[in-house]
Amino acid sequence: MPTLFEAPQKAKSHKHVHAPHGQSKMRPLTSFAVNPDGIRFETQEAEEEVILFLRQHFIVNIPWIFIAIVFLIAPTVLLPLIFRSLPIHLPATYILVITLSWYVATAGFVLASFLHWYFNIYIVTNERIVDIDFQYLLFKRFSQAELERIQDISYSSSGIFATIFHYGNVYIQTAGAAPNIEFLAVPSPDKAVENIRSITESLPGAI
Amino acid sequence: MTPDVTNAVLVALKVFILIGVGLYSIFAAIIVRQEQLMAAVLEESFEPVLRTLVIVHFAASVGLFLLALFLL
Repeated sequence: MPTLFEAPQKAKSHKHVHAPHGQSKMRPLTSFAVNPDGIRFETQEAEEEVILFLRQHFIVNIPWIFIAIVFLIAPTVLLPLIFRSLPIHLPATYILVITLSWYVATAGFVLASFLHWYFNIYIVTNERIVDIDFQYLLFKRFSQAELERIQDISYSSSGIFATIFHYGNVYIQTAGAAPNIEFLAVPSPDKAVENIRSITESLPGAI
Repeated sequence: MTPDVTNAVLVALKVFILIGVGLYSIFAAIIVRQEQLMAAVLEESFEPVLRTLVIVHFAASVGLFLLALFLL
């Protein structure tokens, strides 16, 4: 059967968007970086550039840091009380192993909590928006939305800590079946929205 | 308590500690593996430090298991 219509093949071209000015140097605890240097993520294409890098504000780590400090101090107070209350006298080797176990477990708690914060990241490139979530060490979710599909961007900042430390949530609504993306507890949500808006406005066909 | 009861309690405690630390070592190994997977998602300069920390943590948990096995 002869071909009546053949849709023109759209060549995959990398978009030249208006990237925000300036370049942020990536440090271990960086939560907000514009045009960061030395960073690559999974599925990033050769010509794809990271324009905005975000992770949650460091202040969200305070609860687990507080718990870790309590765990560090606890053996000096708690374990002697427990050992004294036992009906049998524990040998020194048992006390040593139990105390060391407590500190190793505390280190594991700190590591798991830090990794959870460190690798939950939000990335805006010249092609798309990416949200990478790790939960409970064994669950990973990779969400992305093409920049053209973004319909609306908004942010909210509520609560005493969010107001003092200037962080909040950014909501990105997308068209079609693409998932809506939320950047949770990111620093300077207003600047993040401003940057994303300037990128989307510079896309071909943007109003 | 009689010496027999005390010994039984200590043996039970030793078994309990070994099982607990053994399971914890598996958890520490999972953290090492998970860190590798996470590092594949995001390449950053700080990642080698994190990898060292999780490996040290895993080594510490295995060392603790061996310590409990031979010392208790």
